[in-house]
Amino acid sequence: MMDLAYLTVAEAAELLRTRKLSPVEYAKALLDRIETHDRDFNAFLRVTPELALEDARRAEVELMHGDWRGPFHGVPYGLKDIVDYAGLPTTAHSKILQDNLAATDAAVTQKLRAAGGVFMGKLSSHEFAIGGPSFDLPWPPARNPWNRDHFCGGSSSGSGSATAAGFLPAAVGTDTGGSIRNPASMCGVVGMKPTYGVVSRRGVMPLAFSLDHVGPLTRTVRDNALMLDAIAGHDPLDPGSANCATGGYTAELGRGVVGLRVGVIRHFYTRDMKADAEMTAGIEAAVKLLADLGAQVREISTAALGDYASCNRTILTSEAFAIHEKWMRERPQDYGALARERLMAGAFVRAADYVNATRIRRKMADAFHALFADMDVAVTASAMDPACSIDDPQAIEHTYARQARAPFNVTGSPAISVPVGFSKTGLPLAMQIVGKPYSEALIYRVAHAYEQATDWVKMHPNENRSVKMYV
Amino acid sequence: MVNESLTLDEVRRMAAEIGMTRLADEHLQQLLRATNTARARRKVLPLEEITPADEPAHVFHLAAEDKR
Repeated sequence: MMDLAYLTVAEAAELLRTRKLSPVEYAKALLDRIETHDRDFNAFLRVTPELALEDARRAEVELMHGDWRGPFHGVPYGLKDIVDYAGLPTTAHSKILQDNLAATDAAVTQKLRAAGGVFMGKLSSHEFAIGGPSFDLPWPPARNPWNRDHFCGGSSSGSGSATAAGFLPAAVGTDTGGSIRNPASMCGVVGMKPTYGVVSRRGVMPLAFSLDHVGPLTRTVRDNALMLDAIAGHDPLDPGSANCATGGYTAELGRGVVGLRVGVIRHFYTRDMKADAEMTAGIEAAVKLLADLGAQVREISTAALGDYASCNRTILTSEAFAIHEKWMRERPQDYGALARERLMAGAFVRAADYVNATRIRRKMADAFHALFADMDVAVTASAMDPACSIDDPQAIEHTYARQARAPFNVTGSPAISVPVGFSKTGLPLAMQIVGKPYSEALIYRVAHAYEQATDWVKMHPNENRSVKMYV
Repeated sequence: MVNESLTLDEVRRMAAEIGMTRLADEHLQQLLRATNTARARRKVLPLEEITPADEPAHVFHLAAEDKR
């Protein structure tokens, strides 16, 4: 019998298109799996079996008539619960918005529905995409499928957890300071923060307007490219939307890395911060493998991680507080403690500091993009540490800022997190691959070449003994 | 500008000035920590990198179709 839990989007698409797999049976199998196992992981805030089966039945009729819409036709997906789906609450995982019914679909929802996707439900988030993991909210935090006692990253926590757990082959997340790539890193899946503006933010609860990105989490690089193909595109109703051609993200897969120039930003994880030894070893082994595959690898340097972080957080907290000020006045008690404190950091940022941070941002982005004059992609750490214990607030606080993802929210560059192995305790390790704006296809090419040369993609958590895995 | 040595009473007053009058003591302690964190970030912003003519990353502009 086929194991539908870990079918990739690409595999499912072919089986669905050739009518060897029924979208209804596929959806039912995953719904059963969610019902049985999600009580351990809390990846979903709301499972929507009726909507899933409605989508699946529609896809089945269309596919039986040979009317194939594309790779997402009949394929299950989930949405981080800051993304609107008409008729359902968009809670942002917060008591503040628990009755906030979405009137219309977000742009990304519209695109996935038009692609024939099967909507399975809304996924856990950190509260308002900033405060988590929190145990003082109406819903529990998502947990790591590799070990449920560990943090699964965030803020797109349910998106990472559900994808790794085999509940979904693909999920939508958002990323303002690393929130797609963090759960991807912690859960051993692939998470792409595309170039700023490539995926519309319309209908997505904002955290910080100028730093927010929407993107895919999947278990393979190819699936990630397929999902980005489905959700990217100019949206005149999103003022930040990039008015440029999108799509074709699988075009360069399989071309390898021979001759590509790879810059390693080593100072992020060896000098600016000192990453965990196993994480560093995983990244360095991946860099060596890229060189063995024919890439021209050299070390490069950019601004210090601390400079990027101060720029990111000054902008982020200022913009976020502008959004939350009214609720902070009227309902401060309805926030979880983590979100409240992180959002309050924007209360008294001076206007000049905010403006200066955006001026520094432009300089940093220009300087970083200039590096691509003689480099194709950059490689660096994503997280500095494997996932820590979820119920250890000190460990959460310690690891929260130990990351190298925020620089690429500042620069707006596309950046992907891909698995590079496991710690001795069975927790995923990861690296980032970063490109110049709109170079997602090239990033996927490098990530895919690495993925194809390793076996990480074949490993999945074992739901019965989550720290163990099978190949 | 935020005073360099903020006290809880000062944070309470500052919060009240922007209408945040419903904060419990626990929330005010959070606001104090958060404000101190934000100030620490400000101190490490690489301000020496920018010259007077450096523009913000996002500046007001009109699209071509607004020419009327």
